Amino acid sequence: MFWLIIKRIFSALIVLWIVATITFVLVRIVPGGPFDADKNLPPQIIANLKAKYHLDKSVSEQYVLYLARLAKGDLGVSYKYVNRSVNDILKDAFPVSCQLGLLGLVFAIVFGIALGTIAAVNRGSTLDTLAMIKVTLGISLPSFVIGALLIFVFGIQFKILPVGLWESPYHMILPALTLAASPAAYLARLTRSSILEIIQKDWVRTARCKGLSFWQTIIKHVLRNALVPIVTVLGPLTAILITGSFVVEFIYAIPGMGRFFITAVTNRDYDLIIGTTLVFGLILIIANTIVDIVYVMLNPKMQIEG
Amino acid sequence: MNNNAIELAHEVFAKANVCSSWQRPVSIGAIIWQQLLKTPVAMISFWIIFTLVLISLLSFLGLAITPYAFDQTSADILQGPSATHLMGTDELGRDLLSRIIYGSRLSISIGLITALTAFIIGTTYGAIAGFCGGKIDSLLMRGVDIAYSLPDLLVMILIGVLVGRGTQGILIALGLVSWMGTARLVRAELLQLQHEEFIDAAKTAGQNSVWIILKHLLPNAVGPIIVAVTFAVPSAILSESTLSFIGLGLSPPECSWGTLALDGWHSLRTHPHLIFFPSLFIFITVLSFNLFGDALRDAFDPKSRNL
Repeated sequence: MFWLIIKRIFSALIVLWIVATITFVLVRIVPGGPFDADKNLPPQIIANLKAKYHLDKSVSEQYVLYLARLAKGDLGVSYKYVNRSVNDILKDAFPVSCQLGLLGLVFAIVFGIALGTIAAVNRGSTLDTLAMIKVTLGISLPSFVIGALLIFVFGIQFKILPVGLWESPYHMILPALTLAASPAAYLARLTRSSILEIIQKDWVRTARCKGLSFWQTIIKHVLRNALVPIVTVLGPLTAILITGSFVVEFIYAIPGMGRFFITAVTNRDYDLIIGTTLVFGLILIIANTIVDIVYVMLNPKMQIEG
Repeated sequence: MNNNAIELAHEVFAKANVCSSWQRPVSIGAIIWQQLLKTPVAMISFWIIFTLVLISLLSFLGLAITPYAFDQTSADILQGPSATHLMGTDELGRDLLSRIIYGSRLSISIGLITALTAFIIGTTYGAIAGFCGGKIDSLLMRGVDIAYSLPDLLVMILIGVLVGRGTQGILIALGLVSWMGTARLVRAELLQLQHEEFIDAAKTAGQNSVWIILKHLLPNAVGPIIVAVTFAVPSAILSESTLSFIGLGLSPPECSWGTLALDGWHSLRTHPHLIFFPSLFIFITVLSFNLFGDALRDAFDPKSRNL
């Protein structure tokens, strides 16, 4: 286990270095720089600005400078948010995105597994059909439409929930629901087919025969085994949540990383683009590592072999 | 005696309907189509898709099928749905229905072209990995695994930075992201088929690798490939509209359902119809493709029908 973690940290560092390099090259080779929008600046000032941020040097020199700073944990400065370092911006934005993501994940897991279980145990009934219609809706509706619908109903028609910014727990409900909609549908479908497969097993019948009630069997025996394939998709699920956070933070004007990433791309704010991309990469690596560890814990067979 | 035995065998086979070698061979396509004809959901979604594609093709005729030109402004600004403007007008007095029909050509063609790209790149890549096996396979698939685990939208936005926005940029970004599922699938199918006897036979007969892949391996994997390509269409349409919605996809004067939804978003509070109708079209299109894909999968693989 110890060597596994050391190995993981080492490979994570390599992956992050590759991500940093690719993003670095990507943003530098495109035409258009961060100061193009300020058209009326005199050339001398632009030259000074470029000199200040080392943009006048060659790309390879910039790369060496960047890596040197990155090694010290300094992600650079933002060109647009004057006097704010990327570290500063991310320090504010990361907790916001984290809260949103975790709350979205909780909603997705709770709704997804509940919906999938209800559908599976009532297979073929109206409840099943209703649940599956909900799932199909969740998969076929883009998240901005779900967001717009929620805002329209709860924010504008009934005025019971705030529809923007990130101030109190009330502000979190609608964004987290919007974020959770499509992963919940994805999880519900998976839970349903996973349970349907397990419910036919002999040991489920044994559990029932030995006198456990229906729901006791489902929760203690079936759901526990059905969780294994669900745990393995938590990695891809994190990717879905990050994708969703771009849209959700845009719609609800939440000052999180997704929103900064979008504005950074629009403004060609080089260091901020690379910085946010690196943090997203780190989140994915951590999520996948946790999934691997939990998977080993859930599956005793792998513990003996590994 | 011998003749009797053969006749008996004929009868038994005919009754049990086990052996079809005496009957005219039926193509797999015909069997699938028969199966789809029996599924109402499949037929409804098929005709909806057919209509939408037809509309997007006809949109090139312009005024012949739309009530107004897509960029024709008028004094009737921000009107709700009415008899003259079935879906209302936007802030410049442009007819929303006409704009949605005009936008369908980009939304739908982006979906279809992306699916085609996914098919070509994914099948080639997966076929090479699956056929070569060994080191080449693990190297190629490692790359796919890493790329597959990244958030689509993040990758598309970063590619968009490089290739620029606009229709061409979107197509490149979507094309580069969408083929990986197909590649994985084709590879898995080919790895399974590799050990079949007819492949050994083809190899022994001295046929070259490309011929074996094209003639023997891929036709046997055609079902899953078609299903995967069908699902690539709605996800491309969703991605395009999402990118355009957050302002990193198409931008005016280009017009797709995503940009129309973004226009409508700004006046959600006052004129919700402006976001409602483009969203409705995105939803119906994506839903139809998803349902049709489900039906196709069930038709190809009866085992999945109950799950």
